[in-house]
Amino acid sequence: MQTIGKGLRDNFDWPLFVTVATICVIGVANLYSATSAASEALSDRYIQQIYWLVLGAGAAVLIVAIDHRHFERFGYAAYGVGVVALVLVFLIAPEIRGSQRWIKIGAFSLQPSEMMKIILIVALAKYLHNDPKTDGRTLKDLVIPGAILAVPMALILAQPDLGTALMLAFIFGTIMLLTNLKLRSLAALALTFVISAPLTWTYLLQDYQRGRLTSFLDREADLLGSGWHAHQSIVAIGSGGTLGKGFMMGTQNQHRFLPDQATDFPFPVWAEEQGFLGVALLFFLYVFLILWGLKVASQAKDRFGAVVAVGVSAYFFWHTIINLAMVSGMAPVVGVTLPLFSYGGSSVLTSMMAIGLLMNVSIRRFSY
Amino acid sequence: MSSLLSVRREVGEFRKRYKWMALVVIAVFGALLGRMIQLQIVEHDRYAAIARDNITRTITLPATRGVIRDTGGRIVATNRAAFNVYLTPQYLASSDLARIAELMGLDAEARATLARRVEEVPAPRRAHQIRVFTDVTRDQLAALETHQQDLCARAGTSERPIRLPCLYTAAEPVRTYPYEQLGAHAIGYLNELSGEELERLAPAGYRLGDRIGRTGLERAWESYLRGRRGYRRVFVDVRGREVEDALPTDDRPTRRDPVPGRDLTLSLDMELMRIIHRAFAGRPSGAAVVVDVRTGAVRALYSKPSYDLGAFTRGLTHAEYATLRDDPFRPLIDKTIYESWFPGSTFKPFAALAALEHRTLDPNERIECTGHIDLGNRRFHCTQSHGEVNMREAIVQSCNVYFYRLAEQVGQDELAHLAGDFGLGRRTGIGINAEAAGLVPTRGWYETAGRRFMLGYTLNTAIGQGDTRANLVQVAMAYAAIANGGTLYVPQLVERVTTPSGETVEEFEPRVRRRVQVAPEHLRLLIDGLYGAVNDPGGTAYEAAHQVRGTVAIAGKTGTAQVSQRVRPGDPDRGTWTRRPHAWFAGFAPAHDPQVAIVVLVEHGGGGGTNAAPIAVNVLEEYLGGQASTASAPPLPPARSARATRVARR
Repeated sequence: MQTIGKGLRDNFDWPLFVTVATICVIGVANLYSATSAASEALSDRYIQQIYWLVLGAGAAVLIVAIDHRHFERFGYAAYGVGVVALVLVFLIAPEIRGSQRWIKIGAFSLQPSEMMKIILIVALAKYLHNDPKTDGRTLKDLVIPGAILAVPMALILAQPDLGTALMLAFIFGTIMLLTNLKLRSLAALALTFVISAPLTWTYLLQDYQRGRLTSFLDREADLLGSGWHAHQSIVAIGSGGTLGKGFMMGTQNQHRFLPDQATDFPFPVWAEEQGFLGVALLFFLYVFLILWGLKVASQAKDRFGAVVAVGVSAYFFWHTIINLAMVSGMAPVVGVTLPLFSYGGSSVLTSMMAIGLLMNVSIRRFSY
Repeated sequence: MSSLLSVRREVGEFRKRYKWMALVVIAVFGALLGRMIQLQIVEHDRYAAIARDNITRTITLPATRGVIRDTGGRIVATNRAAFNVYLTPQYLASSDLARIAELMGLDAEARATLARRVEEVPAPRRAHQIRVFTDVTRDQLAALETHQQDLCARAGTSERPIRLPCLYTAAEPVRTYPYEQLGAHAIGYLNELSGEELERLAPAGYRLGDRIGRTGLERAWESYLRGRRGYRRVFVDVRGREVEDALPTDDRPTRRDPVPGRDLTLSLDMELMRIIHRAFAGRPSGAAVVVDVRTGAVRALYSKPSYDLGAFTRGLTHAEYATLRDDPFRPLIDKTIYESWFPGSTFKPFAALAALEHRTLDPNERIECTGHIDLGNRRFHCTQSHGEVNMREAIVQSCNVYFYRLAEQVGQDELAHLAGDFGLGRRTGIGINAEAAGLVPTRGWYETAGRRFMLGYTLNTAIGQGDTRANLVQVAMAYAAIANGGTLYVPQLVERVTTPSGETVEEFEPRVRRRVQVAPEHLRLLIDGLYGAVNDPGGTAYEAAHQVRGTVAIAGKTGTAQVSQRVRPGDPDRGTWTRRPHAWFAGFAPAHDPQVAIVVLVEHGGGGGTNAAPIAVNVLEEYLGGQASTASAPPLPPARSARATRVARR
């Protein structure tokens, strides 16, 4: 235990900490503005967000304190718990807006599918760490990790929660790209995706999901209907200009033209009120965070640490770019949050735990 | 230990891939940043405008249209508050419509119209108010406002009920005309702009639903009367509810007060118009013009039959419009300006003046009238056989033969030029409605028209027939010019423009069109003849004037303008009426100190002496009779021979 304490002191990853802390502070301030115009019930959300951040930070500290090699040991156990939680969702979760996602624990609602992202990273890391194979991987080698992905993904798709399911797939894909995948296997995967896309469209997607996708392709066609969210979001961003309208001064936000300002669309609030300068700052923070994660991965002393760091980077990368593309009209509105910026307990908790994992790997990259 | 080595190798392999990954991350964020630059910097203005429009609702503050008064300050056109009803289709439940119809007391047809009107509103406009009723009665308004609270309660779905006001009433000014039909053609009415006009007029600030002057003064003085609308900008949230402490969006003012239109004071005298209207009792169709001979100010523009300006402003039904359009007496036509007529014998003084000015005829020379003259194989008729007449007698008795002979000597172009100098056959520039130019033909005109010139044309021209046409205002201005010594004025309808508080903005001085170069002696001779026509026993208007036994000395000329003998096919009833000649009287009074010139036309009224002259005499008597007595006016000095006079040559 002495090494842990020493590592924490000497090798604490200040750049990572400062970056994350800055995003959190900005995020809460932005949330304050975003929810100030909304109805009374939502106006104390920024307080709740602080609670979640504190809770998440606590979890992160715990995670940092434990050598990640211990996580490796419990990787599959955590995976099993996660899958059970996902099954439980169908049994005990109430249906909200046509899907079952949340489990109530006391006063809190938790979204097991969010936690599953972290668990998937850890489980894949464990698998790859223990896989002795070093030469090029073929499709056959992907069967087991594929299965690790497939079980939770299928459960999440059934909730239905397309956004989260896709996110798992993206994280999985990114991690797999790092391993020594053969070109032929890659081509085969791509082919599978191309074939499955139309089948997914026809059989798996709900009408509202199809509507979001079609409205993305032709936003102007139904501005008052399904194109409304994206349209108002773009207007908010564009009207911010270079310097922004000022904190609490965004008209799109304050006059409630932006939908779901707290959860899916906090970025337009920021872009409208802080302008391009604020946007550039936020971009810098996220890019730094992601690249830092990759750097940590590259310096990790073992494969488990490397895969976890890459997984966390992938988690932030995909979440961030999908949310940004979504709010700026470059991707359909799929309900993917902006990590540490969007309101939401599960999202915040997951993000903080992911940061904890990254910090853990980062601190121990110089040890042993 | 081999596994440890392989791990090292793998880490090296990883490093390469990290570089690629980092590049991908930077590239993707670079693309997103590009999008942000596009939205926030390149297209900023566009989105800023959309964001501003999102939260801004502009409420129009209508400008009050200028009031029109007559020369005595009597109100001719003004505004009153009308209550209009607006609905917001999106917030309406179907039961609301039925309830509103019930409160309004609508019949089945009106209910259907209302339902259709609401249904037809396209989706993007359904959250906006549409005007469904204009000018509702006080009772209807009270009923609606009492029950406003129960309405719109059931709109929306059970999950998302809408509880927003769906019904809205607003007081808006509506034009009103106290004199209703009197002077309708001259005053004019307003109605709503059509879509095509809107495109054209939008740059001038017109909007959908705006009313614009359509005819008469309302049209001609539109830019003065209209004023400028104001606005109040309110800030709303996404549901369209007003936000009290709105965020500033730009530096534009949130309110601009409307500028009311300018008031007009007309030269028209509505009391005189009433007098004329009474004098026209029993005559279905005709027109009259009275002008001030000293200024050219128009005192009366009367066209009969007329129509109710209020009805036009409200909007006519198709049936109502068809009735007016198909009326044989043509109420929609402004007979004072829009139409030109054969002036008939009212033209003769100008023929006589042409002869005097060109010294082609000694006014004292007597010409024998045998009731007709023959020219080639055509016979030109007179009203009777007048025997030997000189110029004065020819005017007094309106002898056609005398003027045929006169015309032979004067010539077509000389007649046309002199008449033209007095404004006949030339637009007066009165500036309202479309003015008929009329025509006094020249030889050149016949050639251009492809008709070989014949002397017979000149004969007809001299008695105001053939191809000679003039509108009533032209004749009035020409007689005014005779009366005032040869000054042809531009007829003016507006004396001055004032602000609503009464400050004069613009005052209009008399505008002289031309000082006709004619010898005063010749004018005196002419005036003497015109005086005789009314006051000499045997004068064509003597009977009419004699019956009134008035106090006002009138000089004037009757006219009986023959109209085409052709009967319109399939029109047996109207045939007889339309074949009767138009009855004219043109003159001025008081004869020796002229103030006003008057022209009366009774359409298809028959002889001018018996049909038009009495109207003119009655009007002048009533209008001027209260003023200084002129009955005992000294006889006019006898006119000297034209040959002995030094003539002012043109």
